[in-house]
Amino acid sequence: MTPSLDPVLPGAILAGGVLAAAASLWLLLPNGPDRTATRRLGTLLGLLALGAFIVTGRRLGGFGEEAVFLIVSLVAVVAAAATIVSRSPVYAAIWFALSLCGVAGVLLVLGAQFLGVATIVVYAGAILVMFLFVLMLAQPAGLAPYDRVSNEPFLSALAGAVLLGVLSLSIGRLSAAPAACCGLPSRAQAGADAAAAAATPPAAGAADPLAENHVARLGGELFGRHLVAVEAAGVLLLVALIGAIAVVARGEDVHASMADDAGRAVR
Amino acid sequence: MNPVQSLAMLQNALTVGAILFSLGLVGILTRRNLIVMFLAAEMMLQGISVSLVAWSRHHGDWGGHVLVIFVLTVAACEAAVALVFVLQAFSRTGRLDAAAWQSLREATVGRTVDRELPAAGAAPPPFPTLTRAGVQPPGGEHAPLEREHV
Repeated sequence: MTPSLDPVLPGAILAGGVLAAAASLWLLLPNGPDRTATRRLGTLLGLLALGAFIVTGRRLGGFGEEAVFLIVSLVAVVAAAATIVSRSPVYAAIWFALSLCGVAGVLLVLGAQFLGVATIVVYAGAILVMFLFVLMLAQPAGLAPYDRVSNEPFLSALAGAVLLGVLSLSIGRLSAAPAACCGLPSRAQAGADAAAAAATPPAAGAADPLAENHVARLGGELFGRHLVAVEAAGVLLLVALIGAIAVVARGEDVHASMADDAGRAVR
Repeated sequence: MNPVQSLAMLQNALTVGAILFSLGLVGILTRRNLIVMFLAAEMMLQGISVSLVAWSRHHGDWGGHVLVIFVLTVAACEAAVALVFVLQAFSRTGRLDAAAWQSLREATVGRTVDRELPAAGAAPPPFPTLTRAGVQPPGGEHAPLEREHV
């Protein structure tokens, strides 16, 4: 997609970016004393890595679309990195909320309107508040010692970089042509799904999820083809609810019996 | 949108998803705080969601969207059950530390020992505060020029 560049050059830039990201994470992850110089170097390397990923990104055509996608994905990625390098878990949770907003923006750009809103409502509104609630219940005053050290930051950052490199490689090899062996039979060719309004072949655009009545058609799909899965998800939610309550109640019992034993031993 | 642009959007979104997944992986491997570990796990789920929706857009069908809805459901269940366990662990040990449970490790794995820990209580994080309301600011040299009551 970038015909002006030599095919080797983007790969080299990407490899450099992945390595810079790994070094940046290694420097930034909490590991003993917090030094300003280390943090600055790590931030600089992180910015370099971001720049490498932006440079090797594909052009989207329209300037507005590119700008919006760039901004929301930068918010998501930078806030995600800040989440895992924050020493204070409260700040980590708040950074994660910002990252969720970025992810919701990416989903909106991709045309998933319902999922973008649901991400903010369910994740940022419910799950994250629950995390913050537990943090406020359980957080000791000041920074706990276990928040200032990491398990094997070098090896973990390296593992993340290897994973990211392999994923980027396979993403870069995607091509517009359908695979010869096992291409998905498109809905239009199958002709089976007239209800999905697949009048135009998907590859030719029409950006199906972006079409009108997005939520209504998503609901139709969800409660049509995937009705059994919806029922299973409902059962799963119920079981999780009951399980959580059961674990709490049983924990109380064990605590009470342990306290009884301790009291008897003292007596 | 022509196929080339559709593929470009797919590749960009997949890259964002891959970065989010890798960051979450690094977070869950390194961090010791149980809550932050769960945040990192949720971040991996976010990366997966972005990738699923990107593929859904590329192929022009609803499979990815439906899967992401189920990912949301499972994430909610996971958060509920996990937080219960975290709270139980906290009430047993008084810490949100994963290494507090390292007696559950394999017999061949070495013990995690904290070395060179900075002194406890060194520079607690500055949390945002609100200024107390209703307190009159100290008057400076320009105080005679200001009105007493507005």
